[in-house]
Amino acid sequence: MSNNENKEFTTFKSTGYSAFCNGSHIAAVDVKDGKIIRIHPFRYDWKYSADQINPWKIEARGKVLEAPKKTSCGPMGISWKKSIYSPNRILYPIKRVDWDPNGERHPETRGISGYERISWDEALDIIESEIRRIVATYGSWAIYAQGDGHGETKMVHGPHGCMFKLLELLGGATIQIRNADSWEGWYWGTKHFWGGEPFGLMPNCSNLYTDVSKHSEMLLFEGCDPCTTTRGFCSGDQISRFCLFWRDIGINVIYICPDLNYGAAVFADKWIPILPNTDSALHLAIAYQWLINGTYDQEYLDTHSVGFDKFADYVLGKEDGVPKTPEWASPKCGVPTRLIKALAKEWARKRTSVVHGFGGPYIRGPYSHEVARIEGCVLGMQGLGKPGQHSLAINNRAVFGSEDHPVAPPTPCSIMHEPHQLNVRAAYTGYNPFPWLGLPKQCIPEPLIHDAILKGHFEIYGSSLQVTPACEQFIKYTYPAPGCSRIHMMWSDTPCLLTCWNDSNRTAEAFRHESIEFILVQHPRMENDCLFADIVLPVNTKFEEDDIGDDRESAAFDLVYLEDKCIEPLGESKSDYEIVCAVAERLGLLEEYTDGESIPQKIRKGFDQSGVPELGLCTWEEFREKGYYVVPTDPEWEKYLPGLYEFYLDPSKYPLETPSGLLEYESIGLKQYFPDDKERPPVPHWVESSEFHDERIGSERAKTYPLLVVSNHPRHRTHANMDDNDWFHEIITCKVRGDDGYLYEPMWLHPSEAEKRGIKDGDICTVFNERGGVLVGAKVWERIMPGVIYVDHGSRADYIVPGKLDRGGAINLITPHHTTSKNCAGMVCSGFLADVEKTDMDALRAKYPEVFNRPYNKDSGLVFERVIVKK
Amino acid sequence: MGKILLIDITRCNGCYSCQISCKDEHVDNEWMPYAKPQPNTGHFWYKITETVQGTVPKVRVHYMHEVCQHCDNAPCIAAAKDGAVYKRPDGIVIIDPEKAKGQKELVESCPYHAIYWNDVLDIPQKCTMCAHLLDNEGWTEPRCVQACPTDALIFGEEEELKDRLGDFEQLHPEYGTGPRVYYKGLLNRYFIAGEVYDPDADECLEGATVTLLDSTGAAVKTVKTDVFGDFWFERNEPGEYSIKIEMDGYTARAMDSIDATTKDVNVGSLELKKA
Repeated sequence: MSNNENKEFTTFKSTGYSAFCNGSHIAAVDVKDGKIIRIHPFRYDWKYSADQINPWKIEARGKVLEAPKKTSCGPMGISWKKSIYSPNRILYPIKRVDWDPNGERHPETRGISGYERISWDEALDIIESEIRRIVATYGSWAIYAQGDGHGETKMVHGPHGCMFKLLELLGGATIQIRNADSWEGWYWGTKHFWGGEPFGLMPNCSNLYTDVSKHSEMLLFEGCDPCTTTRGFCSGDQISRFCLFWRDIGINVIYICPDLNYGAAVFADKWIPILPNTDSALHLAIAYQWLINGTYDQEYLDTHSVGFDKFADYVLGKEDGVPKTPEWASPKCGVPTRLIKALAKEWARKRTSVVHGFGGPYIRGPYSHEVARIEGCVLGMQGLGKPGQHSLAINNRAVFGSEDHPVAPPTPCSIMHEPHQLNVRAAYTGYNPFPWLGLPKQCIPEPLIHDAILKGHFEIYGSSLQVTPACEQFIKYTYPAPGCSRIHMMWSDTPCLLTCWNDSNRTAEAFRHESIEFILVQHPRMENDCLFADIVLPVNTKFEEDDIGDDRESAAFDLVYLEDKCIEPLGESKSDYEIVCAVAERLGLLEEYTDGESIPQKIRKGFDQSGVPELGLCTWEEFREKGYYVVPTDPEWEKYLPGLYEFYLDPSKYPLETPSGLLEYESIGLKQYFPDDKERPPVPHWVESSEFHDERIGSERAKTYPLLVVSNHPRHRTHANMDDNDWFHEIITCKVRGDDGYLYEPMWLHPSEAEKRGIKDGDICTVFNERGGVLVGAKVWERIMPGVIYVDHGSRADYIVPGKLDRGGAINLITPHHTTSKNCAGMVCSGFLADVEKTDMDALRAKYPEVFNRPYNKDSGLVFERVIVKK
Repeated sequence: MGKILLIDITRCNGCYSCQISCKDEHVDNEWMPYAKPQPNTGHFWYKITETVQGTVPKVRVHYMHEVCQHCDNAPCIAAAKDGAVYKRPDGIVIIDPEKAKGQKELVESCPYHAIYWNDVLDIPQKCTMCAHLLDNEGWTEPRCVQACPTDALIFGEEEELKDRLGDFEQLHPEYGTGPRVYYKGLLNRYFIAGEVYDPDADECLEGATVTLLDSTGAAVKTVKTDVFGDFWFERNEPGEYSIKIEMDGYTARAMDSIDATTKDVNVGSLELKKA
């Protein structure tokens, strides 16, 4: 099967992270004598002629953008060796020293106590007996399985929830629900405005990039960074090529965001700084300007929407006595009144699209459904779906590539589309968070894990599963579910709650709760939630495995490729799939678990059912020989109409997926089920505060915590992945080296705010609020507006005091506790209040000497040895 | 004739693929006789440095690319003993890792600071244009160029690329070293930007005429403010400037002592009062 017996060969690896069963950032890997020599982008036409792959061209305004000739794996892909050989790799099974499954378990010392090496046999003995004991005592639902988006993207060796199938064979386990955690606002909000099932972004992304290139006069990048999210998850730097093209053809590009993000830094014609999570105020004031000046499309609204009069009443103040004027909005959002008026004027006279990252701070704050809906309302007022007038996402294909919802990528579509869309999912062994699987009997949404453990119960509306339809948001769920135990064992292959989810200082507390008898984690590196586990199993990287993959996210071509093993597994590590196989064998379920298929058989099955051989495009033999296959561009790709153009032409013939089939300025569904919801009312509102959140600059709390935190997907890692990359640590925006030599997570602060607090560039500081404190390194500069601090999510937690004070800069430890709103169990991780102060490091060192004496690598940071107390 | 490298900073998105590719190729890989392994950290044979230009909200980031210029009149060749640094027929300058052992003075010989000292191996090291790949592996460009997603980097024969050199310039041509690297968008000229508004009407003033004057008072450029009242004078020669703002119905105003000798300047929000 593998090329590994060859002395010198080139294979392919998807180097992006976090996708469940589709790869991205495909790189060529040159291997010689068992060593990885180099990892690099490769040309699509390396083994196929241009005629065979049919490169697309977008022609607009006298210029041409051609399909990229090579893959885009970016610096994360190119430097993947750093992850393989990280000093923080886990190379053998370990057990927490004071956790005794036959005696005292000491849940209270999780996060504090050290670890000892154990053998695989010993580990499997304990795991087997614990699973049998838990199932016998509480029933299988007492096992909580977490297999979420975080780790590498693999197929056979699936790092996301390989244990789910095994636990189903045991009777079914509690599953951590895969939330719409990068796009909460659209999921909970715009689905009730424009439909857009199942994700909630604007329906139909076909050929939007082409249409924008031809027709848009202005693009508003709203909280969108085309040079950040795509680097880790999908599309790489290909979106930058579009941004350069839009510059070349003269489209006016405005960035509206609190930080001069990496796209704004090079692509913006104008930057409008705005306070975090206040975009709704800006949009309402723009709607106000249009209403009083009559500069919107009432005719379109008459035929394409319902309830607009109620929205207009709210905007004009007829409903609540408060007109949403620029003077009303400006103190809330920090944008000068004159600038709001000018933007309203320009937007009304230019064909405008808004552009979004697939996730990011814009859509992950408190009440993000209102942010999304109000933006939709504003777009509707100018005639959504007209040429050049859309809501555009920079990386749709991250999750939109399911055959049920074939949504074209930013680029022209391949010849394989509905019903034969390319995928090698038949080889996939992990959790597949797509709708046809249905919901397990008991689920816990990501943002409620701490409540589930600490309070022991919750009630929510909607499962929060990323792909369920809007009507599912009206169904009530309780935890524990009828007939199910609360959870007593946690099994995770995605141990990244601390630095990725919300109020995770409470999660740290939950990990130490007495009801949790056993925490089992499998992961390549010793970080974050691993530090609270009772047993940690070593997982290898994809470079140590044979696999197969597909890529429908490249913004270039669809691709399927073989991933051959490059090197032998390091230490005693195994793949996630192999680990679950080993557990299944102990439980006598190996045959059922694997379906009797070997790994090479699964790889072959993935290709055989990918659609490629069925359509006669490429045989296994040719695929095996060349190692990859590029799906040609559909010669008729331009015939697919862009976005909501058909709806614009004829809303009765091409209705939306809303109850009325139209844009719902007053949501029929919300009015029926939640008529009195003040946080997500039937007509979208600005919500200043509520029982759930009090995170506005005008709040009483802001007197104590006067700064708003903006937190985006990280620039130099994906979640915590690559946080140990010492080549990245040499980049000034990656880490700030403190005067103690430690690599602190950067915290951007405007010079005016720094001066008030006596903070200088490079100082070690503490960002804090009621939920705890996080140490950071100050970047004092002009890339952030006054009143705001910026800290990327995903830095590895390195607790000084578990649950209270962190040195690693894991900002999510102090994000808001509550979900998006009372009836929406979405995650909130940006747009919240805090303050920052210079840290008295001498006092900390004196108080916690053991923390500051842990082993540490000056280049890569945290090292595995720091947790080992008994060899 | 020979190879040249074009670096179009105006098309750089700051992704760092070039800097990181260089490390992937040279750290822990030995390419003798071209190069010994690069240390894991601390060397930047291809280096990006960042400058934040201007102040809120007129801010941009400039990514400078620092790399061996493969000079035709290379000071390192002159400074080297035993022919330890040599120029190939294709223009690429190579430090011979064997002959250069102990020659720490080569680090100082480079006015572009492109040579790094390897303490462990006791040798000076720098960019080889990945000559080992060009010579032996069928590559047509070095790793940094191959990894660039936006075609900001272009590598090839001088003869074939000379028509594209129009907008490009050399870095510090005054050093007289004959660099084979050409840049577009060097941070050697600066923007002067600002905003004009009417405080009484509380409106951005679109269409105001803004004139940039040099230190002698001569008008250099004139622009109209856009819908946001913004004006941008791009890539001005280093120096001290003043501006004049005029609009029908308003009292004209001027602003002096705008110091753009070493940096970009946001002059801020400027009121224009009704006449």
